[in-house]
Amino acid sequence: MKSKNPQNDNVSDEITISRKEALKKIGKYGKYTALTAIGTFIILHPKKAQATSVDHSGLITPDANGFFD
Amino acid sequence: MHEFLSKAVENKSIVWFKASNSYIILEEIAAQLVHQILENKTPQKIASTLAEKLTISEQEATHIVKNLNDRLVIPNTIKNSEAPTIKREYEIPSNLTFKKHYLINRKIFKVEFANEFQLSLLHPKFAHLETQESSKIDHTFQVFNSNHLIHLVLDGEFIGAWESKNIHYFQGKFSMKIIECIYNKNEAEWMGVFHASAINFKDENILILGDSGNGKSTSLALLQAQGFQCIADDFVPIDQAQNVYSFPAGISIKKKAVSVLLKEYPTLETSAEYHYERLNKTVRYLPPQQIDYHKKVPCKALVFIKYDATIDFEISEMSKLKAFENLVPDSWISSSSKNAASFLEWFEKMPCYQLTYSNNELMYTAIKRIFEDEL
Repeated sequence: MKSKNPQNDNVSDEITISRKEALKKIGKYGKYTALTAIGTFIILHPKKAQATSVDHSGLITPDANGFFD
Repeated sequence: MHEFLSKAVENKSIVWFKASNSYIILEEIAAQLVHQILENKTPQKIASTLAEKLTISEQEATHIVKNLNDRLVIPNTIKNSEAPTIKREYEIPSNLTFKKHYLINRKIFKVEFANEFQLSLLHPKFAHLETQESSKIDHTFQVFNSNHLIHLVLDGEFIGAWESKNIHYFQGKFSMKIIECIYNKNEAEWMGVFHASAINFKDENILILGDSGNGKSTSLALLQAQGFQCIADDFVPIDQAQNVYSFPAGISIKKKAVSVLLKEYPTLETSAEYHYERLNKTVRYLPPQQIDYHKKVPCKALVFIKYDATIDFEISEMSKLKAFENLVPDSWISSSSKNAASFLEWFEKMPCYQLTYSNNELMYTAIKRIFEDEL
């Protein structure tokens, strides 16, 4: 069903749909949201080895001072 | 058959893959599809069932199954072809002139360093454990450089070699070996090592977690001054039986926190100060009080803490999934199936809280209430 825009005749006609049709459309988008969620995941990798907090690293920059040479 | 584990948490599933030692958070329905793929059901059959279940087309269902298989299952079931640990050719220098002895849980450790820089990487956190007793040495570490790598040898056995950018792994491995030696447990017997502070009250522990700079160590020191027992700072070992063990390294106190703690710890004023140029940080180390090596007790809760001068006090229960996302990348979790299962089971029953404070008294009260089941 089409109805004319009462405010401005120059604007293209609005499309009105029934409640049933609206729910059907929303349902369809809801379904796509759910399908997207199925393909969405978070991968978490633990550290490969034990580590101290990085703020305990090096009193001085080793490379700059040649300690690793 | 690929080894994996699965656990429902809140409204999602966590799936662990042995081959990649990865934990994946996904929708429950996606976890069911992953199970079916891993059970070697044909993609057509899985897609057909899915299409019927979700009232979607076979084409859409096939796309979903293929996507999960290609992006999730395949990458996490191919064993990472890690470069084998190369026992690089090295020669232990004869001039390991810097020597320290430490007494930890009635064992004497001798650590020999080739230069002062190497000593500075390990000694400050263990300085309070230094002993003059050196007649009966239980274990000897040797630290030296070779081929631009820092090497660690324990009792004549090569432990590892690290580039300068991985110094925190060198330090972590040293700490791990100390733990293995003092508790007579090898690496496979530990569930994980967590980047947290651990505090004890009666027969339970709370782990205090949070990003670096959030105030974990300062909170730990404040709580210790209130009569709670410090179990570990920065490096919290938990064994397969899910018990937390003491790790006696010093508590690192950043320069800005020293003034806050002087009332409780007057000796901090004159403690040695270490400047970490790379991070533009200056810290002092506070020896933990009453380390009890026999205390092996379970963890009661995880508290993600943040000191924030603009907030007096806030505490709320935290989403387990958010806590998991924060916890895993910051932890070493053993890659054995037994330990991964233990970790998932441990995490599932662990209450998680978010605590932000600047009011110390309210923080102490909240921690005590968690210990006493009053929160």
